[in-house]
Order: sequence, then C-alpha cells, then structure tokens
Amino acid sequence: MSVGRLLRVGTGLLTLSLLLAGCGSDDTNQPVDVTGGVPVGAVLALTGNANVYGQDQKIGLELALQQRNGSGGINGRPLKLALEDSGSDEPGANAAFTLQINRGVLALIGPTLSQQAFSADPIAQRRGVPVVAPSNTATGIPEIGFFISRVSAQSSVIAPLAIERALTIQPGLKRAAVFYAQDDAYSTAETTIFQKALKEKGLEPVTVQRTQLNDQDFQNQISAALREKPDLIVLSLQAVDGGNLIRQLRELGYRGLIVAGNGMNTPNIYPICQKYCDGLLIAQAYSPELDTPANGAFLKAFKAAKGGAIPPQLTAQAYTALQVIGEALVRLDKRQPLAGAPLAATRKQLMQEILAGSYATPLGEIRFTPEGEVIQSQFFVAQVRMDPDGRSGRFALLK
Amino acid sequence: MDLLQILVNGLSVGAVYGLFALGYTLVFSVLGVINFAHGAVFTLGAYFTYLLIGGAVGANGLLAGFQLPFALPFWGALPLAGLGAALVALLVERVAFRPLRRRRADPLLALITSLGAGVILVNLIQLLVGAESYAIPTGALGGLPASFSLLGARVRTVQALLLGIAVLLLALLTLWLEGSRNGKGLQAVAEDAETAQLLGIDSTAMVRLAFGLSGFLAGVAGGLVGLSVSIAGPYFGIGYGLKGLAVLVLGGLGSVPGAVLGGLIVGLAEAFVPADWSGYKDAVSYGFLFLVLLLRPRGLLGRPLPSKV
Repeated sequence: MSVGRLLRVGTGLLTLSLLLAGCGSDDTNQPVDVTGGVPVGAVLALTGNANVYGQDQKIGLELALQQRNGSGGINGRPLKLALEDSGSDEPGANAAFTLQINRGVLALIGPTLSQQAFSADPIAQRRGVPVVAPSNTATGIPEIGFFISRVSAQSSVIAPLAIERALTIQPGLKRAAVFYAQDDAYSTAETTIFQKALKEKGLEPVTVQRTQLNDQDFQNQISAALREKPDLIVLSLQAVDGGNLIRQLRELGYRGLIVAGNGMNTPNIYPICQKYCDGLLIAQAYSPELDTPANGAFLKAFKAAKGGAIPPQLTAQAYTALQVIGEALVRLDKRQPLAGAPLAATRKQLMQEILAGSYATPLGEIRFTPEGEVIQSQFFVAQVRMDPDGRSGRFALLK
Repeated sequence: MDLLQILVNGLSVGAVYGLFALGYTLVFSVLGVINFAHGAVFTLGAYFTYLLIGGAVGANGLLAGFQLPFALPFWGALPLAGLGAALVALLVERVAFRPLRRRRADPLLALITSLGAGVILVNLIQLLVGAESYAIPTGALGGLPASFSLLGARVRTVQALLLGIAVLLLALLTLWLEGSRNGKGLQAVAEDAETAQLLGIDSTAMVRLAFGLSGFLAGVAGGLVGLSVSIAGPYFGIGYGLKGLAVLVLGGLGSVPGAVLGGLIVGLAEAFVPADWSGYKDAVSYGFLFLVLLLRPRGLLGRPLPSKV
C-alpha cells in the first residue's frame, strides 16, 4: 500500500471513528425515552476478582427494583434497570459506563470498586449523568464532580471504629502490623485512615506490608510481620486476597486479633478463610438489627429471597442506592413529567433532586452534603462468628 | 528475615510456577508454540478437584446447586482432576491446534487459537458455575497439621506438599522421558517431527501425548493451588499463566528441568525481595528474567534450536 493511500485510509478511519464516537455522546437534544419504563443503569463487578461484591450488590438492586415497582414504580410507570458487568478493572467500568450513558439512562449506580470509580466517574461527570455509588469508600469520590454521590460512608468515618473496638476487647494491645494492597485505591485510602487511627491510639505500626490485589501467596509478608510479634493485625484488602491472607496468617500460627476494612465486609469471605475467619472485627455501615420500617421491609424481602439468610452490608447499600434514585425520580416526575423531557436537563434536575432529599433506608435515615457525600448517623462493629462446619457464619454485631 | 524462611517461602511458591511451566514446556517442545489455554486447564483442574471432593456449585451459573453424588478424599480427587484436565487439554489440541498443523499454518496462528480456546474455557466455567470463589476445605488433608516448624522456619503443610509433589512429578517425568519408548519418541518429535515420522514414530500421537501430560500436570497443579489459596473465580489461572510464561523463557524454551529450575529461581527471586517491598516482587522477577536473557538469550538450560534446511 502506498503512503498516500495509507494516509487516505487512515484519515477515513479516523473520521469514521470520530463519527461513531459522537453517536450517542451528544445527549443535549435527546428526549427521555420511557418506553418499557424509566431507564436507570447499574454497573457492577460481576466477574473478576471483585465479583463477590457485585453478586451481593445485584441482589440488593433486584430487591429494590421489586419494591419500587411493587409500590407503583415512578408514578405508575415502571422503573427499568439495565445491569452491566464491569469486570473488576477500570477499562471494564469505563466501557460499561459509556454503554449505559449511550443507552439514555437517567442515572447510574456503581461501579463496585473505588479504583474503578476514579476512572469511570469522570465519564459520567463529563456527560452530566448522576451517579450514586453503592460501595465506594475511598476519600475523594464525591469530589470528582457535581454528578457523583455515594451512599457508602467513607472509610475515614467507619474504619477507626473497629480499632477502638479491638482496644476495648484487648486493652493491652501494643504492636500492630498493617497489610494493604498497594495497587488498589480503596486499600491505599483505607490503610492511611487505619494507620492514623492506630497512631492516635498510641499503636504505632511495627510493620507495614504492601501486597498486590492479585497476590494469592503471602508467606513472605506474613513471615516478616510475625517476626515483629504483633498482637493486632489490620488489613485493608479485598475479599479474595484478604481471605487468603487471613487463612495463611492463622495457619502460620498467628492467634491475635485481626481487624479488617470494608473490602472484607461480605459473607463471601467465608469460603476463602473458612474457620479462620472466626473472630475477625469489621466496622459496619449497616445493621440487620436496626429496628425501622425501612430495614424491616428490606430484611423481609431479603430473607424471602435468600431462604432466611441475613443480608450483608453491600446488599443493603445497593438497595439503598436504587431506593434513593427511585424516590428522587418520583418527586421529579411529579413536578414535571419525565416522558419526552430533554434528557440532559432531566439528568441535571435529577441530581439536584437526589441531593435535596432525605431518605428512610435500611441504613437508617440518610441525606447528602452538597458535594454528594452521604450523611449517615449510625455505624456498628461486627465480629465474624463461623459455624462449627467452618463453611458458613455470620457478622455478629458487638453491643 | 532468616535465610531458611526465605528459602522455604521461595521454593514453595517456585514449585507452583515450575509445575505450571512444565506443562507449557511439554507442548512447546513438540510444537514450538505456547499453549495459551494452559491457564484455563489449570483453573479447570482446581474446579474438578473441588467437585470431586463433594463441593457444591454456588447460587450462580447454569449448574447452580449441582453436586456429585459421591465425595472422594482429596488424594483420590487430585489425580482424577488431573485426568479430567488432561481430557480438556486433548480437546484443545484437537480443536485449536490440529487443524492448523494439518494445513501447515504459521505457528503464530496456533498461539492465537489457543488464546481463543482459553478465553472460551474461562467463560464456559463462569457460565456453568458462576464467578464466585470456591475453596477446598481446610480439613481436606485429614489429620495433617496446618503448618509445622523446620529449624525455626514456619512452613504451611500445603506448601511443603506442593514442593514435594512438584519434585516428584519432575523426577517421574524425567525418568519417563529418558527411559521409556514413548518418552524417547516424544523427544525425537521435539527434535525433528518429520524425521521422527520417517523413522516410524507417530508424531500426531506424540503431540497428543504431550498435550495429555501437560493437561494432567496443569490439573494437579490447579488442585494443589486451589487447596493452598482457594479458587478465586474462573480467572485465577491467568496470573499463573503469565508467570509460567516468564519461567518457561527463563529456564529455556522446551527444557523440562529448565522449567522447574526457572520456577524455583523466580520463586526465590520474589522471596528475596524485602517483605516491606513485596508489592514490587513482580517487577523484580521480570527484571531478573530480563537480565538473564541479556546474558543467556536461550535461557538457563535452553539449547540452540536446530536449524531446519
């Protein structure tokens, strides 16, 4: 092929790709399409390393959708939820966000991981699409922009509670060892908070061990940490790597207290660390024992769907995210009907509506700051109690 | 950290890499191409082991709730899982490699078709059993302790087993290659398939044998790693696949002892990274590979490829 022809073909392809990229990216004049229901999208990690969270969240969304559509939907019109798998990485989240936005959804729930949110949320911000994050706890998520909010309280609020509780259980704690995944935004953000909390309590970490999300063997780091004779171990890891690390810690002889962060706040850790999960301390943004009508309804729906099981925090938060969007849509639609309204303007008004509201949710009463940060009043600390078979267990709330 | 503890940590991790790379090596030695579906076969070995010991499929996937009507002890399940993985490897050979070999296609095409086969297998696993993690119960080793002390170093029993089994399989494989008719036939095909064919050696059968053995080794390795660190979803073989590739090149393409030596060296290189910096161990092991290849372009035990005229 001659250089000239190559240039012509290249220019043609570039033009075509720009035209294709433009398709669906200009939502300014598009009307809201309510054919089949009011469109909302969700982007969850249903595959890859973080799939354990996505599976929990999917159940929450399904229950919230049933609840919303069972009680009249959006003023008589059903809420239509499109669910996309983001995998567990940033490119997957970016692609899924773009796809959902191009579909004309009014708002997005997700992505599952903070690491993904820092990559995908700016896309929604640029395109003017409201995002309600159900599980991003890293510092700086709502600050991405006006359209980004979350119902998951940030680590700085929750993480120190577990440290405090560990000191209540064992006041003589002196030597803390810290582990975190250095290639994960959630882990690096949370460990900073954990380490600050430890120092404030006079527990300067004796060692800080860095891991990677995809690590499965931690003997090296554990051997080094155990040489320091820690009496407390603090983990900021995701469920799979964290579960493996706990199992290896216990197998290599560590018997002291273990505090874990939000990444391990899922029953999906049970099959990984099995009997060794027992005794793990985790601060919670959700309590199944919260005695409110909203939580009662959620509990009832979850138990009916899951054979009497207790819902995990991630499920409750995902349920809350869709509940918030649903209620905001109902209010907005009453003021001005959604059908046929300009999509871009409606998205902006919906974001304002989300931020203005107050919501009675399974997490308790929540509101938002003008930046989109959740305002939540009640937090808890749970300790994992494994059943004798070592395969199932529960997060027992500590009074 | 004590030198002995570092050695134990490094060798136990390196044993997994070596076992993994052995399978790569067998196929490479007879076909001259990397089988990128090897990681998926390794993953399947772990799932087969889980099912054979009586594990139930979770709530997601087409096989939700499925459980075999029997449960085997771990040591019974592991070789069977290896056989299951061997069958899958043979299927990969039949579908992704043989048609191209018959057409004398560029080996690069087989690399791509094997990559495709691997992706399809991983997606099939997810479709059937979901994406959640599974774990072989910690009590699968019966009365053995979870860990033990060795001259002051702390060793997980499962890691010691991994190392022992890797060494045992290497020894058996070497004995078989050097001392059996089929083993020699395999080496002859690896040296020169066409000449071997003229001498009456069925090269197609030898290729199948290499794939079967490679699948068996991957299946056994998958089962052992599943026991050691749980089965982190359908994609959990991918990381090992990349590391296995580095080990294969480091040890010397097509060299069986090189695969094991490369695995152990990479494991040790990672273990010698100070624990505080172990988040960077991949950079160290690949950097080490880079340095070795600068000094020995054919790897540690690689031989010059025969020139074909």
